[in-house]
Amino acid sequence: MLRVENLNVFYGGIHALKGVSIDVQEGQIVSIIGSNGAGKSTLLNTISGIVKPKEGRIEYRGKELPRVPHRVVKAGISQVPEGRLVFANLTVKENLMMGAYLRRDKKGIERDLRSVFRLFPRLEERINQMAGTLSGGEQQMLAMGRGLMSSPDLILLDEPSLGLAPLLVKTIFEIIEDIKRMNKTILLVEQNAYKALSVADKAYVLEQGRITREGSARDLLRDKTIQEAYLGKVQ
Amino acid sequence: MSGFLQQLINGLSIGSVYALMAVGYSLVYSIMNFSNFAHGGVIMIGSYIGFFAMTAFKMPFATAFCTAALGTGLLAVLIERIAYSPLRKRNAPFLYFIISAMGVSIFLENIIIASPIGPTFRTYPRVFGAEPFVVAGVNIGRLDVMMFVISTLSLIILVFIIEKTRTGMGIRASAYNLRASALMGVNTDRIILIVFGLGGLLAGIAGVLFGMKYTVYPQIGNITLKSFIAAVFGGLGSLPGAVIGSILLGIIETFTSGYLSSQFRDLIAFVLLIFILVVRPRGLMGKITEEKA
Repeated sequence: MLRVENLNVFYGGIHALKGVSIDVQEGQIVSIIGSNGAGKSTLLNTISGIVKPKEGRIEYRGKELPRVPHRVVKAGISQVPEGRLVFANLTVKENLMMGAYLRRDKKGIERDLRSVFRLFPRLEERINQMAGTLSGGEQQMLAMGRGLMSSPDLILLDEPSLGLAPLLVKTIFEIIEDIKRMNKTILLVEQNAYKALSVADKAYVLEQGRITREGSARDLLRDKTIQEAYLGKVQ
Repeated sequence: MSGFLQQLINGLSIGSVYALMAVGYSLVYSIMNFSNFAHGGVIMIGSYIGFFAMTAFKMPFATAFCTAALGTGLLAVLIERIAYSPLRKRNAPFLYFIISAMGVSIFLENIIIASPIGPTFRTYPRVFGAEPFVVAGVNIGRLDVMMFVISTLSLIILVFIIEKTRTGMGIRASAYNLRASALMGVNTDRIILIVFGLGGLLAGIAGVLFGMKYTVYPQIGNITLKSFIAAVFGGLGSLPGAVIGSILLGIIETFTSGYLSSQFRDLIAFVLLIFILVVRPRGLMGKITEEKA
């Protein structure tokens, strides 16, 4: 569904991505794990068209993906950015409508709004509240709901568990699996490697801008070096 | 008492035109985080377009007014494309934007001085009649009333666009976070052009109104320094702030001229600016910046 080939990205003189290639199959959850600064967010932002690559190819459904953010959304890929980036000066409802900014099908928008509220009942309770007044967990839910409102086929999730209490992290990951059951494909970037591998079908390890490991999430979860480096298990 | 009311109404009328200009500043600032000092030049051009449309082209006031507004809307968009867009593409630091803006401003002023139009002061033909309205013993100039009505209507239309339309929601979202807005599918380039266009339309309206109130001359754009003060006073980036700041400034100015001396008018305005910057740098209703991690 999504194929990234030999992506090279420079970020103000820093070689942030060095020949990264990944492959995302339709209907799967694909996780990218790696430490802080490994280039995970840069990869998602390059796919979203925010960061321009120096070299490389991004193919979506067999066609070259446009390099402009709003065209990427139009093509069916939405991103839930790191740090939520909800619009604090807009209401919850308006934030969700921003997610549907490019859509004109009123009925479809209405339907997706209902399904977002089924997924996150809390958002419906706070529908007219300013997003800036929500708690961190609620803002994460809003960011995810907003990401669903463009009716994407592929969702890029950037660190959804960042800064959340353990119980909320569990909820968020349950919801990620719910979203998969809605026939969405998910590319997940996470520092919480254990959680990210537990829900994923396939995973990549990104280290200092390079993919160093890839394989089925189950295999990586059992892998000794991965356990030591990312899962905090000492053998 | 009637003197007091008269001053108050004058203040409201001047303040509402300041608001037109201040809102243009604030709109651009809210999205691009720099003060568009070319705005004064745009207002000046609007003033001239209105003047020549009525005198040289013998247009009726309404047509001249619309021509000026559309002309400056277009001019503001052009300025964005020529002077700012290339800088944006290169992620230039904001200082470059300000320098570019000043360059545009100097260019516009001098192109008028160097052209056959020259530095002469020109007076608009009278449109609204000289005899004032008399309401309960208070004399109200027709022009002052029209300035207030036209400015208020323009602002109401602007607020409607910003608060109730899809594009307006895109503008508000972009003002909060341009990148997040792009991730939602907003064509941020287009939003920026729309914002400049809207600011330009209001600048043209303000230019015509000020041209009618005072005279038209190449430096009339300097008056936007006042609206800049008003925008800072209200909180740069906040539209309600810009309007409230402008109205207050207008009233403070007319009262200073009325009860103290008109020579103190600008002095008070700038003292006010310094005072705000020291005491409350984000103004009365500065941009909301809190965000939870």
